[in-house]
Amino acid sequence: MTLRDLTLEGLEQSLNRVLMLDPEACRRLAELHGRVIRIDLRGTGVQLNFAPGHDGRLQIVGGPELVPDCALSGSPIDLLRASDHDSGHAQLFAGRVHIDGDTGVAQRFSDTLARIDIDWEEQLAKLTGDIAAHEIARRARMLGRSGERLGQSARDNLSEYLTEEVRLLPHRFAVDDFLEDVDQLRDAVDRLEARIALLEQRKAGEQA
Amino acid sequence: MANQRSRTHFGYRTVESGQKAGLVREVFDSVASRYDLMNDLMSLGIHRLWKRIAVELAAVRAGQRILDLASGTGDLADRFADLVGPEGLVLMTDINAAMLDVGRDRMVDRGHAGNLAYAQVDAEKLPLPENAIDVVTIAFGLRNVTAKEQALAEMFRVLRPGGRALVLEFSKPVNKPLEKIYDLYSFGILPHLGRLVAKDAESYRYLAESIRMHPDQETLRGMMEQAGFERCDVHNLTGGIVAVHRGFKL
Repeated sequence: MTLRDLTLEGLEQSLNRVLMLDPEACRRLAELHGRVIRIDLRGTGVQLNFAPGHDGRLQIVGGPELVPDCALSGSPIDLLRASDHDSGHAQLFAGRVHIDGDTGVAQRFSDTLARIDIDWEEQLAKLTGDIAAHEIARRARMLGRSGERLGQSARDNLSEYLTEEVRLLPHRFAVDDFLEDVDQLRDAVDRLEARIALLEQRKAGEQA
Repeated sequence: MANQRSRTHFGYRTVESGQKAGLVREVFDSVASRYDLMNDLMSLGIHRLWKRIAVELAAVRAGQRILDLASGTGDLADRFADLVGPEGLVLMTDINAAMLDVGRDRMVDRGHAGNLAYAQVDAEKLPLPENAIDVVTIAFGLRNVTAKEQALAEMFRVLRPGGRALVLEFSKPVNKPLEKIYDLYSFGILPHLGRLVAKDAESYRYLAESIRMHPDQETLRGMMEQAGFERCDVHNLTGGIVAVHRGFKL
């Protein structure tokens, strides 16, 4: 018995606690009941086998003896990036993350974990009742929205200060004009190059 | 064979062989309702790690048939049922009806259905044909069996060739200081815990005594080899307080 077993037990319990807060994720994982998904953290020597149960809870089983249905391998950072929905496919196609075995199972498993969405209002309602939970959640959302507005206006003020007041950065329109000029210059150079090539061709024809 | 001997041990007492099953039943009838709580208290929760390691060594796969003897409240069966998937089968058994009832209720509460079956079974006389089971396990049960050799022979008989048996059981600490602390705990603290929580000091005294009377690592490995198991290995856990014996039918 080692620290590893203690860590696995702790990891399994924490992960399942989070999962139980998202019934939809549990339902999707329960569809994988009986499958084993191995995650191989390259460079660390750690191999974890995840076995979803009948209710979507995950068992994390160590050891090489288990035969997985599919295996995902990559460095911890690459695997984390792969779980991001936008850049995940890029990681895969760049060859930094490998999938062996049933790719469908691997895809469903990683998608489910990446999309865990906890309904905090529902969880809160279990403690406080529906009405109080709804009110608290509404206020939290309002607070979130005003925070967002505050953030946006801070960003706007900063950009105005840098471009208009101290003129450390060019204004966006100036950048656009500059980029347009660069494009026109490039096109003009291309045309000139084509013209020179044509003239050289003509001169070579006259000499012959 | 042990079951042909007329006398056997029950803790530190020597009793008629025929009496032991009844005495063990009384112990477990008495502790059934508070069994899980007592396990957590007695082992400080470490029993979960011991069982986790046993499950790992069992390397159960989807679709397999698992026989779990002396299931008790079903800690192992619970994990196995999730590992074998909907096509597999876990047979959860116990000789004690009270324990099996508690275990079955717990499995139903946890939502297991379809791949878990329950039966009151005597480990010495398994009601199963030969070569029927992929993995057979007995966790903290073998020391309560009257004729251990007979139980091991039965486990071997029902296993399919290639199948494996796992015995998770208290064993002998591998170093002296640990043994001293362990003895102090078992005979000084454990019966008091039993009296306070399960209102039954005698049953817990029996548990401590039966652990001391159980064969040590090498003896049990020899018994498994005698029963026909091959490639037997022993995994000591928590300094040998508990050991997992594993053997294969090849």
